[in-house]
Amino acid sequence: MNTLDPLPSGMYPAPETTGAAAIADVSAPPPAEAPARFIHPLVELRFDRSAFEDLERRVQRNGPWDDWTMFRLAREAEEAALVTDFHELQCLRALPAFEPMAHQVDTARRVLHEMRGRAILADEVGLGKTIEAGLILKEYWVRGLVKKALILVPASLVLQWVRELGQKFDLPAVPQKRLHSWQNDIVVASMDTAKREPNRQILLDNEYDMLIVDEAHKLKNKRTTNYQFVSQLRKKYCLLLTATPIQNDMGELYNLITLLKPGQLGEEGEFNSNFVKGRREAKNEDKLQENLGQLMIRNRRSDGGVQFTRRFVTNVPLVLSPEEMALYEGVTNYIKQHAYAENGDLASMLSLVTLQREVCSSRDAVFLTLVNLFKKTAEDSPLRARIWELVELIRQIQANTKAEKTMELIQGIGDKAIVFTEYRATQEYLLRFFREHGLQAVPYRGGMNRGKKDWMMDLFRRRAQVMIATEAGGEGINLQFCHHIVNFDLPWNPMRVEQRIGRVHRLGQTEDVKIFNLCTLGTIEEHIVHLLHEKINLFESVIGELDDIVERLEREESWERRMAKMVLESEGDEDLRRRMDSLGNTVLQARGRSREEAGRT
Amino acid sequence: MNVRQVQKFVLAYLEATGSQLIEKSPNHITVKLSPEADRALTGRPFYWSFIDNTGTVPETMTYSWMFGKSPPPQAGVPATPLTSLLTPSGRVSREEIYFGSRRLNQFFDAVRQTGRCVTLFEEPPRGVRDPLRSAPYTAWLGVNFKVGYECDMKREELYGWGISLATGIIDEKFFERLDQAKLSPRLPPNIHLLKNGISLRKAMSQLEHALERKLKTSDFAWAEEAEERRREERKRIKGYYGPQLERASDDPDQSAALQARMRQRLEEIDWQYRPRVGVSVVNCGIFHLPGLQ
Repeated sequence: MNTLDPLPSGMYPAPETTGAAAIADVSAPPPAEAPARFIHPLVELRFDRSAFEDLERRVQRNGPWDDWTMFRLAREAEEAALVTDFHELQCLRALPAFEPMAHQVDTARRVLHEMRGRAILADEVGLGKTIEAGLILKEYWVRGLVKKALILVPASLVLQWVRELGQKFDLPAVPQKRLHSWQNDIVVASMDTAKREPNRQILLDNEYDMLIVDEAHKLKNKRTTNYQFVSQLRKKYCLLLTATPIQNDMGELYNLITLLKPGQLGEEGEFNSNFVKGRREAKNEDKLQENLGQLMIRNRRSDGGVQFTRRFVTNVPLVLSPEEMALYEGVTNYIKQHAYAENGDLASMLSLVTLQREVCSSRDAVFLTLVNLFKKTAEDSPLRARIWELVELIRQIQANTKAEKTMELIQGIGDKAIVFTEYRATQEYLLRFFREHGLQAVPYRGGMNRGKKDWMMDLFRRRAQVMIATEAGGEGINLQFCHHIVNFDLPWNPMRVEQRIGRVHRLGQTEDVKIFNLCTLGTIEEHIVHLLHEKINLFESVIGELDDIVERLEREESWERRMAKMVLESEGDEDLRRRMDSLGNTVLQARGRSREEAGRT
Repeated sequence: MNVRQVQKFVLAYLEATGSQLIEKSPNHITVKLSPEADRALTGRPFYWSFIDNTGTVPETMTYSWMFGKSPPPQAGVPATPLTSLLTPSGRVSREEIYFGSRRLNQFFDAVRQTGRCVTLFEEPPRGVRDPLRSAPYTAWLGVNFKVGYECDMKREELYGWGISLATGIIDEKFFERLDQAKLSPRLPPNIHLLKNGISLRKAMSQLEHALERKLKTSDFAWAEEAEERRREERKRIKGYYGPQLERASDDPDQSAALQARMRQRLEEIDWQYRPRVGVSVVNCGIFHLPGLQ
């Protein structure tokens, strides 16, 4: 009964139009029959009479008439939703069971009132950039200033964003799946999808009241299609999120800021002469910081206010059984000999090092790799016999020392624990092993789809004492209800170790986190634990501190490759230890420098 | 809106739509929706078009609504606001309703749709009237206006004004006055309606003009500040593109591209900052009230 006739077009454009109409308002003069009324020399006044026109029509047709209760409730609804103040944050009273932290609210306020909705959010990892962006979006949403928003994030984070906005902010965000998804009010999409045709054109033809780009440091090069695409998008408010401190490269910094506010740091020539001393070095630091402060917010852990619980790290040394040790020695010898024989094919040499690491994990892991290697080796190759000898050694192994120790550990913990391993085969083995010993465990791995991952997390929370995970990175595995981590084997890359711990040791964790590293003595594992724990002191360092350092080192050569080369090139344990120490020193020096920098800003 | 107000609002809506309360406690209700409420709230257009086309008896949804925030969920536990449980009487969906929740916003949208236009009569006080004399009634146009002051920020005001269609007198507290009155959609006996002196449309224009006069007297510092910001932003953008345009002056292609980019940036700035005031009619109606005004 309330279907309305279409409005006479152009007569009384509703003031609450979408961005598209709003931008049309300023570029094209309104139709002649409705001359713009000015209520103040600067301020145009528009009337939207559509409800009144509805009344006139109903008078002519003698009804139908609405209910008086509904009429009054409608006014009550408007009163309740009314934004009575320019400044007071409305979103805070409209948030469901979730309390943002002080620095997040403060950030939202500054973006809204000082930066006018265009900002770079550059908090350190784990301080809740997503929450800040959500608060800002929600505020504009409640005020009716944003009706259409586009959120561009890495593909792996799309669903996490959608869920976060839905659960924490009750915002109707949808993931982009098909072409018609773009019609929704709040769409979350991956940058790669968005910039591909036909999506690209659809988005460029549209207008967005708000654009949010996560991992915005990937937009640092202005020649890339990503950069140009984001630059071309029509947007009113815009948030760029990045955890990487962008001050490290002056050119990149300039590009990112130009995306947001062209001219904020002057025209390119001015910028270069005013602020740039070298590629990584600024001059007039104070002035630059002041300028940046007008559109960038970087909260740091060291600012206080955010309390993390403590971490306790225990290395659990183990002695392999003679059979296991025999296998380890066998594999090590094989690698040494083979590596010399191979003569320079680095890629296949590196893959050999994996074998060595796998032996430290479980015979199941190494078995699979050996079988594959056997198949790949030419039939007449003498290596085949050698490989087969190793497989024979595997047969000798009756028990897994590490698994037994882990079992013992978990029983001692008597609480929920997450066990991380690098290898699928080890994961399968542990699941079987635990089940045989009456311990409930659930698996978690990268290849599972979203639904299954959620299901596993749920099972872990409600039923199982143990989760065995092969993947720590990626999205959405937040396990604050658990505070024990067992590293069954360690990744070589400190970033990946940090990701593992980060699943549990994050905002919302109320207990101190206990980390156990299993470490088989006399193996390569001992070296890794030494480097990561004793040398870099990774486990107890400030979260996020190493990200940047490792990333910079990786620009030259990947971390894993560096380590593998060391293992192959070293002439013995002593030598390997020395080489690892020197890599550790490089990291420590870089950390010292970055702490100094942090102290200055 | 506090918890109690939310609850009162929801109950009033459910009663007005004829929904059937099954359970009620201070903190929750369980309700079987009426067809009207179901259409407005459950988002099942396909179901309802099926019912309408086939004439099947509809099976409306049953909800259990909890008012107020429940304690924050444990960290890491995804807060699923919706769970459903099976009861002997069918599936019941459980939800929390609080100010800001999507469900309450749906209620808001529903009443905006179904509380838009009315024609009502005030009931004469009982027993005191002379049954032989007919009481004179005047028609009023009552309008709830929502005024939005907008730049890169926004603020709103509500005005519930009425204008007599007989005399053109404007009452700025019209709806407050009506809160005390008993109104009914039926014409009461023994009354007569005065002839309208002005047309509905004219009355509306007069209301709008009066409102405009009132708004003109408000403080426009916010607009001047916004305009200042807009100018500054434009200056910044021109300062950025200006030198580039000069350098590209002998390359028409690049020059055009730069022009286009600059224009887009300038449009974005206008879109963001230009101060404006929008007045929209929330709802309105014709009210026949006793008296000669």
